Amino acid sequence: MRSSLNVCIVDDDDIYQFTMVKTMKLLNLTDKIMVFSDGEEALDFMLDNLHNDKELPDVIFLDIDMPIMDGFQFMEEYVKIKPKLGKKITIYMVSSSVDPVDIDRAKKISEITDYIVKPITHDQLTTIIQELDSNGSL
Amino acid sequence: MSTKDSELREQYNKIFIEQAPTAIAMLDKDMRYIAVSQRWITDYKMEGKEIIGESHYDLFPEIGEDWKANHQKCLNGAVDICEEAPFKRADGTIQWIYWDVRPWYVSEGKIGGLLMHTGDITPQKEREKERNRMLEILDKTSEVARLGIWEVDLKRNGIYWSPAVCEIHEVAESFQPSLDTAINFYMEGESRDLMRKSVEKVISCGDPYDVEVELVTAKGNSIWVRSVGNGEFEDGKCVRLYGIFQDINERKRSEMALNKANAELRAIFNSKSVAIITTDDKGIINHFNHGAEYLLGYSASEIIGTQIPSVFATMEGVERFRRDLSQKYGKDPLKGLAENNEFDVREWTYIKKDGTKITVQVTISAIINAEGEIVGSLTVASDITAIKNAEIELLRKNQVLNFAERLSMIGNWQWNTITNEVTWSSNLYKIFNVDEETRLTYDTYFSFVHPEDKEMVTNHVQISLEEKKFPDLLHRIKLRDGTVKNIQLLAEIMTNDAGEVIELVGTCQDVTEQRLEEIKFRGLLESAPDAMVIVNEAGKINMINKQAEKLFGYSAKELKGKSVEILIPEAYSAKHPGHRSGFFANPKTRHMGEGRELFAINKKGKLIPIQISLSPLKTEEGVLVSAAIRDITSQKIAEGKILKAKEELEVFANKLVAQNTKLADFTQITSHNLRAPVSNLNSLLGFYKLAQSEEERADLFQKLERVVNHLTLTLSTLVEALSIRKENNGDNLDKIEFNLVMVKTQEILSGEIMSTGAVIKSDFSKLPDIDYNKIYLESIFLNLVGNALKYRSADRVPEIYVSSGIENGKKFLKVTDNGQGINLKRHGHKLFGLNKVFHRHPDARGIGLFLTKTQVEAYGGSISAESEVNVGTTFNINFN
Repeated sequence: MRSSLNVCIVDDDDIYQFTMVKTMKLLNLTDKIMVFSDGEEALDFMLDNLHNDKELPDVIFLDIDMPIMDGFQFMEEYVKIKPKLGKKITIYMVSSSVDPVDIDRAKKISEITDYIVKPITHDQLTTIIQELDSNGSL
Repeated sequence: MSTKDSELREQYNKIFIEQAPTAIAMLDKDMRYIAVSQRWITDYKMEGKEIIGESHYDLFPEIGEDWKANHQKCLNGAVDICEEAPFKRADGTIQWIYWDVRPWYVSEGKIGGLLMHTGDITPQKEREKERNRMLEILDKTSEVARLGIWEVDLKRNGIYWSPAVCEIHEVAESFQPSLDTAINFYMEGESRDLMRKSVEKVISCGDPYDVEVELVTAKGNSIWVRSVGNGEFEDGKCVRLYGIFQDINERKRSEMALNKANAELRAIFNSKSVAIITTDDKGIINHFNHGAEYLLGYSASEIIGTQIPSVFATMEGVERFRRDLSQKYGKDPLKGLAENNEFDVREWTYIKKDGTKITVQVTISAIINAEGEIVGSLTVASDITAIKNAEIELLRKNQVLNFAERLSMIGNWQWNTITNEVTWSSNLYKIFNVDEETRLTYDTYFSFVHPEDKEMVTNHVQISLEEKKFPDLLHRIKLRDGTVKNIQLLAEIMTNDAGEVIELVGTCQDVTEQRLEEIKFRGLLESAPDAMVIVNEAGKINMINKQAEKLFGYSAKELKGKSVEILIPEAYSAKHPGHRSGFFANPKTRHMGEGRELFAINKKGKLIPIQISLSPLKTEEGVLVSAAIRDITSQKIAEGKILKAKEELEVFANKLVAQNTKLADFTQITSHNLRAPVSNLNSLLGFYKLAQSEEERADLFQKLERVVNHLTLTLSTLVEALSIRKENNGDNLDKIEFNLVMVKTQEILSGEIMSTGAVIKSDFSKLPDIDYNKIYLESIFLNLVGNALKYRSADRVPEIYVSSGIENGKKFLKVTDNGQGINLKRHGHKLFGLNKVFHRHPDARGIGLFLTKTQVEAYGGSISAESEVNVGTTFNINFN
């Protein structure tokens, strides 16, 4: 069953971007995938579509290590614009870092639903999308 | 002579008479006027009257028969001259006149009539009478007023003193003074000067005087006199002095006495120490002096006009006063006092304006006038609070002394060595447990002295009496019930003028308990585990224990009374007295020489490391300090070992920390920079296996190749960084000139410099060269200058400035550009991280600064950056 969720990938690694998009298509999870190379690009898009629920993502897979604006810096800005957003957005932090400092930091941010260590498995991805989809349809 | 001639002569005479300046009348034989002078008319007030041809007697009907008879004699040739005679006029007034009446001759022997020449001397006459009258009055009053007159005739230098003046001068009436002798009677100094000046002033200016001066009489009595003087002038020249002279001694003396008494009274009235309050007969206060204001704090204006008893008296006091005096006199208190001419003296409590109570001694009396009527009351009060307080204080002190004697078990005594009388304070009886009625002599005391101490006491007293100095004496007494007490005797020896001992006074204290305490203390001291040294304020050793003897190698006897500095090594002993004073200024328990190593020196001169704690010890000798001294030789050795171990551990820990930091960096690098490509590889491999078409496989293979290349680069960077970190042993250092490195860098980057038109300047004049790894330094230059070119601003021609120098003793290198700048607030923390990029620049790989930092840190340096977005960046490298 293909969901209608808007999935957003924020990561500067083009190989990762490629594998994520390909995996989601392979698993037939969703068609609507947005890709941004750093936090600033993603934030700019969201600011442009503050009330455009159709365009705003339902779920964001956020990398930590990016140029210009990294994952944590993006979260700082996101917290500021969150009250203005018309839509509930679920955010997963996805990083290759196993550094406890990064993990603890991410866990302290309540807007982050979970911290996922790369590579994200097919099962993880499927579960996340399906759970979100069923919650959304309730 | 012819008749015609005689007529003519008569005519001349007439004219002559009419023109005469004096009063002259020419009469014929029948006493009828032939001619009169103008003066005659005025003298006898006959203006406007017809005179010529009239009878002299008609005009002056008052002329008596005696004068008429005289006229007849003159008509017969006599001459009548009178110098003065009263002429009673018809209107009753007396006119004093002189006259010259003589006949005039028609011819030889033939009388034609009379010539009358008169003068009115009435004014002169009246003056004379006035003067006589005055003199008479003066003579009469002079006796009463001791008043005399005097005159000085300056022309003749003759002086006249009236009898009273002579009497005042205490000279005989026949005394003939001159002006000088008269003035010399005045007391030398002020009086004489004043008189001389006054007299001169009269003579020169005519100013009269009236002075009171002192005079010394011929008999040597000094008296006060009043002298009044004036001058008489003729043609502007003083010819006569005259005046009055009065003995005013009594008046002056009483006046002076009165003045003095007045001044004294005023002083009393105005004095601060005595309060004086008076009332009128109605009891209304009409005087409230300065002393009262001062005593009671009320101002006079607040109190004057109020009724007594006033606010400052207490009702109880007033009632007590009224009751006592009513009982005494049986009538109103003031009347009683007045009638008996008495006053009431007692202590009152007055309340000051501020509410404080004071004790005053008050005298109240009635004021009566000459007729004996009460016209008011007088209250005189003086503050005796201080006296009262002193009395109370004295009583209290006595009590305290008694109390203190009892508490301290001290008694005082006196021994009169001549009468052998002895007195003891009551507490001393208690100490000796003797009835206070016991008669005392020296033997009484001596009988109590402990048998074993008797000889010592006798000797002590003997020597003391001889040397007239009594050193403190400690001995035992044995009471009748057998109790033994320790007694400390202090005494002062009194001698008479001849230096013989007459009395001993002193104290006697039961120190039994103190002795016990001392013994206890001694025991305590000996049982202490540390060496104990007790020192007094002067730094003299008072007492030491056995442990101290052992530690220092001296016996207690050797050290007692010695300066404590004997135990302190020379290097420290100079400063020690200062430290000791500091301790005694603020005595409290503390360790000595906090934070410093302390040493003592023993008898053999060996230094012993010690630890000292000091405690103040309050004793009757003043504050002592007890020093507990511990030999820490073995402790020192152990400490040294621990310190060494600690230092070694620190070095080890530092190494571990450094390793840890590197490990942490490595964790960071592995998780971010190695895991990511590896996971990408896995994903791509997964897809590769599932790939359906050759095309898809080729695409994935291309991607795999990219990841592998990236991974290879990362790994080689890491290997390089690790090798840099390893090689920092300083072996491969060369002296490198910055300038040469700069030239080489510019050669490498020449293509980019040309295409961007960059301006590169450098200044290495302050630090031309440095000892460094040549390859690293070239790499640092290449990275920093290369970055400056790579991240140039699109709007500006790149300008790069490279300089070296020394700041605060540290060598530095600085690279400044005018490029895009970096938001350090956002990226500062990862500026020098591996694979960290901050620009969307296609060549940004995040390797250059990571390696630069590694190369700088390899030789202990540091790198930092300052930047402003769109303005430029400066990298600072601090070497070593």
